[in-house]
Amino acid sequence: MARLLDVRDLETRFYTQDGIVHAVNGVSFHVDEGETLGIVGESGSGKSVTVLSIMRLIPSPPGKITSGEIIFEGRDLLKIDEEEMREVRGNRMAMIFQDPMTSLNPVLTIEQQITEALELHLGMNHQQARRRAIELLKMVGIPAAEQRIDNYPHQFSGGMRQRVMIAMGLACNPRLLIADEPTTALDVTIQAQIVELVKRLRDEIGMAIIWITHDLSLLAGLADRIIVMYAGQVVESAQTADIYRNPRHPYTIGLLQSIPRLDEKRRERLEPIEGVAPRSH
Amino acid sequence: MLKYIVNRLLWLPVLLVIISFITFALGVYGPGDPVQQLLGQRSDPETVARIRRELGLDRPLVIQYIDYVRRALRGDLGESITVARGQPVIKLIARGLWVSIQLNAVVIALGVVVGIPLGVLAAVRRNTLLDYLTTAGVVMGISFPTFLTAPILLWLLSYQVRLLPPGGWDGVFSRSVILPALVLGAGPIAVFARQTRANLIEVLDQDYVRTARAKGLPELLVLGRHALRNALIPLITIFGLMLGGLVTGSFITETIFGIPGIGRLGFRAFSARDYPILTALTLLIAVSYTLANLLVDVVYALADPRIRYE
Repeated sequence: MARLLDVRDLETRFYTQDGIVHAVNGVSFHVDEGETLGIVGESGSGKSVTVLSIMRLIPSPPGKITSGEIIFEGRDLLKIDEEEMREVRGNRMAMIFQDPMTSLNPVLTIEQQITEALELHLGMNHQQARRRAIELLKMVGIPAAEQRIDNYPHQFSGGMRQRVMIAMGLACNPRLLIADEPTTALDVTIQAQIVELVKRLRDEIGMAIIWITHDLSLLAGLADRIIVMYAGQVVESAQTADIYRNPRHPYTIGLLQSIPRLDEKRRERLEPIEGVAPRSH
Repeated sequence: MLKYIVNRLLWLPVLLVIISFITFALGVYGPGDPVQQLLGQRSDPETVARIRRELGLDRPLVIQYIDYVRRALRGDLGESITVARGQPVIKLIARGLWVSIQLNAVVIALGVVVGIPLGVLAAVRRNTLLDYLTTAGVVMGISFPTFLTAPILLWLLSYQVRLLPPGGWDGVFSRSVILPALVLGAGPIAVFARQTRANLIEVLDQDYVRTARAKGLPELLVLGRHALRNALIPLITIFGLMLGGLVTGSFITETIFGIPGIGRLGFRAFSARDYPILTALTLLIAVSYTLANLLVDVVYALADPRIRYE
């Protein structure tokens, strides 16, 4: 498979009043065309900052990508100017976020929010964009899409909003979809629906996915490969099956042990990971 | 929505009765006597009593009030006692009202046209020299009282530089409007600038702004389409309050610049205990703020799709 994304020695820091936060420290990984990569780690491990760095959406100041390369479709994204980067964002590479309740603009209709990327990147006129938006909403399973497209975000439930976010992300047929904990804010049954939806869309469209989560069990049926992050570094990287069968890093072992299993005799307590992740500065 | 508006409007007469009664009672029982003011300190008590009788001021409060309401319903708010003796209050107010509305419209427009862009610039260029200068200007605009800025500007621009006329009123499209508009506009400009800056900074931190950026939208579109509208919605309240104040005029500024508006009329009526004028002014202000508040609620519902009135 061809290499789609190659991240090499990425370093992102935040220059705050309390000192420099080393959020991402020399992270390297790659994603091939059509591949699904899972990034797992606890809060503060640098997962989100890593993918926001790839999108070049780190708020700056205080954030800054201090070194590394992000080769996407053969170009180093850290060397192109802002205008070229905007062509990549939402077009070749799209992102969906953790909280669907706050990630949609409350004063714009769903139509306005989906069509703007289509008009911008694909040069569609308004009629074409609206038609395509309705198609996208149907594709992600929004019932009565022709009517719902004129609704505002507050008229949708959390799960439905995340479907809208996915429709927005897929609008321009991106080669890479970055999903930053897209199911964390949803309840369990909706989580499963969203995971199934993304799997189906991946198989239909054939895009690559980076799926960030702190829930290792969620990646089992979804990811081809998994990298485990801790304190801004990649501590383990392996094929999904190998991670579960033969975890190498003590932290990965800890993560796996903290998952309750249905096929084992019920123990009194789950095994926690001792301590707190170190502060990154 | 329509039901809500009608409902709110039905409360207006109730409010007016309460307010007019309180103001009326304060006029009758409050300190100072208009007839005494009219005739001077050393007036003959018999003449005072005669004029009081002529004006009907010797009757019990409730009778006077009922008479007032009966006439008010026919559009007669009484006559001025001291400020312009015998002239109908309605006419005096109408004359001043038009002047004050024009002046205040200029002031509010200044606040919106200057204040909001300043606030946007300060928010977008946060922590730069421009932001600091704006903040300093805002603090001055809010904290300098008009009785200080009016004489200073008057002295500087009219007396020293002789650039602008020192006062008077030649209509809204004349040079005489500039000085009072600057004096009165400093506050609204500062308030709009500060609120816009604060709201926009908060909104630019929201997840949906990040979503907009993730779509690859140019920063100008992110700002104009996604951020600004959300940041400006809370300003409707401030705008509404200022709109309510459109008819109140400014006691101090209008008096200093000799502008024949509601503010100066109110100041003179107050000094001379001309309570038919004061009562009418109070009612006018009450109606104005009530309608402005209603307008705020309606505009809010139009601007923010999440707000619905049942």
